Amino acid sequence: MSARLESLVADFAARFGALPSSSEPGASAASGQVTVQMLDFSRRGLHWEAVLPAERVVDAGRWFAERGFALDTITGLDWLAEAQMEVVYDFFHPVHFWRAAVRTRVPRAQPELPTLSEVFPGAAWHERETHDFFGIRFVGHPNLTPLLLPEDAQFHPLRKDFTP
Amino acid sequence: METPNLTIATPELAAALPEVQRLVRFAKLEELLALGRANSLWPLTFGLACCAIEMMATGAARFDLARFGAEVFRPSPRQADVMIVAGTVNKKMAPVIKTLYDQMLEPKWVIALGNCAISGGPFVYPGQYAVVEGVDKLFPVDVYVPGCPPRPEALLEGILMLEEKITGKRRWPKVDPEQ
Amino acid sequence: MNHHSPTVAPAPSSGANVGQETFVLNLGPQHPATHGVLRLKLTMDGEYILRAEPVCGYVHRMHEKMGENRTWAQFLPNTSRIDYLSAMHYTHAYVAVVERAAQIQVPRRAEFVRVITSELNRISSHLLWLGTFLLDLGAFTPFLYAFQDREQILDLLERVAGARLTYCYYRFGGLCADVDAEFLSRTRDFVGYMRRRLDLYHKLVTENVIVRKRLVGIGVVDAEMCRRYGATGPVLRGAGVAYDVRRAEPYSVYPELDFKIPTYPEGDCMARYLVRMEEIEQSLRIVEQALDLIPEGPIQAQVPRALKPPPGDTCMAVEAARGRFMVRVVSDGSEVPYRIKLRTPSFANLSLFEEASRGLLLPDALALMGSLDLVIPDIDR
Repeated sequence: MSARLESLVADFAARFGALPSSSEPGASAASGQVTVQMLDFSRRGLHWEAVLPAERVVDAGRWFAERGFALDTITGLDWLAEAQMEVVYDFFHPVHFWRAAVRTRVPRAQPELPTLSEVFPGAAWHERETHDFFGIRFVGHPNLTPLLLPEDAQFHPLRKDFTP
Repeated sequence: METPNLTIATPELAAALPEVQRLVRFAKLEELLALGRANSLWPLTFGLACCAIEMMATGAARFDLARFGAEVFRPSPRQADVMIVAGTVNKKMAPVIKTLYDQMLEPKWVIALGNCAISGGPFVYPGQYAVVEGVDKLFPVDVYVPGCPPRPEALLEGILMLEEKITGKRRWPKVDPEQ
Repeated sequence: MNHHSPTVAPAPSSGANVGQETFVLNLGPQHPATHGVLRLKLTMDGEYILRAEPVCGYVHRMHEKMGENRTWAQFLPNTSRIDYLSAMHYTHAYVAVVERAAQIQVPRRAEFVRVITSELNRISSHLLWLGTFLLDLGAFTPFLYAFQDREQILDLLERVAGARLTYCYYRFGGLCADVDAEFLSRTRDFVGYMRRRLDLYHKLVTENVIVRKRLVGIGVVDAEMCRRYGATGPVLRGAGVAYDVRRAEPYSVYPELDFKIPTYPEGDCMARYLVRMEEIEQSLRIVEQALDLIPEGPIQAQVPRALKPPPGDTCMAVEAARGRFMVRVVSDGSEVPYRIKLRTPSFANLSLFEEASRGLLLPDALALMGSLDLVIPDIDR
C-alpha cells in the first residue's frame, strides 16, 4: 500500500505544485507557496497534506473525487493574529483507507472560497456550517443560509473576536 | 371521615349506617378530579437531548412509569397533561417550546428534567450564545428534577412530587437514601 | 438472505398541474419519529415526498466553542454529550487525539478496558436504535425487550464508570478507575446472555413479515451516494463497502482482536438493520476476546496535571456506533485548545436524506431515517 500511496502523492504533487518540502504548512500558505507533504500517521492522523491557494481547491477536490475519495469534513480556523482564516478539507478513501488534507488560507477581511458542493454534494452542509461559524463565503453555493444557528443569525460565533 | 348529620328514618337503616360509612365516601369534586388527574398524567413526548433517553428508560420495563399511570406519552400537545422538558433548550428551539406549551390545555404542568432544563446545565459558560438558561425562563415549571442525566428513579420521584402537588398529599412511600 | 423485491408504487408523475397539487408538510421539530429535535420541511404530492429539506440547529450546544473556553481536561464531559448513546467512543476519540498530540503511551490494561467498555457501549447503542426504530415502524414490544437488555449493560458500565449514560470514564493516558474481577465475570455472563437474546430478536423481528415488507427494498442508499455525502458506519456497510475505522485506521488494541466487518450489498433499510444486528454479535466476540487477553497492570500513565500538547494540529478517528467520528485538535501550546473540530457521523448520514428520500412515501422515508440511526445532538453539536 505504501508504494501506491507514494505514487498517488507524487501524482498530486505533479498536478498541483511543488515537490515535497519540509517547511511549516502555515508559513507556506501565508507566502502563497504550494506544499505537498507526506506525514507520520501516528503523529498527525493523516497520510499526507497539501497547502494550496484558494482558487485551486475545487480542482484538488475533483482530483480526489475521481480517485474514489470521500469528503470527511471541512474545518474552519480563525488565525486572528495573522489576519487570515484557514479552511482545511479532510478526505478519506473508503476502500484504500488513505487519509489526506488540503489546507488553504484566505484574508480575514474578505474570506471567500469557491464552493466544493458541485464535486461533493456532502460539502454543501459542511460549507454552510463553516459559514455559520466563521462567516466564510463559499461562492456559488446553492443555499448559504444558517444550518446550525437560528435562521436570522447575523453572528459568527467561532471567530476569535466574537462577543455575544 | 366525619359522621354526616343525618336523620335516620328507620331502625334498619340506622343499623346499616356503619356499613354505609365504610362503603360510601364523600369528597370535594376538586379532590376527586385532582386524584384522577394525578393518577393519569399523560406526558408530552418532548425529549430534546440526553435526558430523553433516561425518560424513555423510565417508561421501559425496569422502571415502569406505567405503574403510576403516566406511560401514555402523547405526541400531540392537545392530548397531554404534563410536558417533561428533557434536554437542553436552545434559543432556536425556544419559540417552538413556547408554542407547544401554549397549545397544551389547562390544567397542565411542567417537569424540568435534567440540569439543562433547570438552568442551562453544563452548557452555561461566560459568553455562551445558544442556550436558554433554564426552561423556567419561558414558562412556569412545577417540578425540577436535577441530574445530568437524572436516574430514572429521580424522574419517578419527580412524577410523585407532581402528584403530591396536584392532590395535596403524598400518596407513595418516600425512599430514605440512608438505607 | 433471500430478499424479494417488493412492488413499489410508481413515483408521482410530473404533470403540468403538479405545482398546484403539492403542499408543504412540516415534520418536527417535536415529533416522535425524528429522534430528537429535527425539523423536516416536506414538499408533498399526496403521500409522496417531492423534496425533504432537513432543518437542524434546534439543539446546537456550542461544543466546538466550548472547546476553546475550557482546558483540555475540562472538555471531557462535553465529549459524552455530543452523541450520548455512544459516549464511550466519543470520549475515546478525544483522549486518543490528545494522547497522539502529546505522544502519551497508554498502558495495555487500560487499552483493553477501553475496548471492552466501548464495545459494550456499541451494543447498548444498537439496542436502543433497535427499540426506537421498530417503535417508529409501529412495533412496541421490541422496544421493551431492547431496553431490558440495555439495562444489563448499563448496570455493568455503572459499576465502573459511575454513570448510566454520559460516562466520562477515560482520561488522558488511561482510565479514571480500574475494573474489578466482578465486572469481568459479570461481563462474561452478559456475553452468553446476549447471544441467546439475539436469537430471540431474529425470531421476533427479522423474520416478521410486516418488518420485511416495511424494510426490504425501501430507502436504497448505494455506495456511490454514500461516497458523495461522506456517509459512514452501518449506512456505508449496508451499501456493501467494508469500511470500518477499526480496520481502516487501527487504534487501541483492535489489531490484536479478530472480528468480521459485516456488509450487505443491497443498501436498503433491511441491509442496514442486518448490519447492526451482526455488529452486536461481532462486538460480543470482541468483548470475549478482550476478556481473555486483558493483562494485569497499571491503568493510567504519568501525565502532567495541566496538559499542554505541543503546537500543531492532529486528528484521530474512531468507529463510533453511528459511523466515523473524527476529532481534529489544533493546539497553540497552551492549556486551552485553539480549535476542536468534531466530525460526526450523523451529520454526513443525514445530509444524504434529501436526495435519498425523493419520491418515497412518507412512512418509507421515516423508515429510511430510522435506519440511518441519527442522534440529533450529534448533528448540531
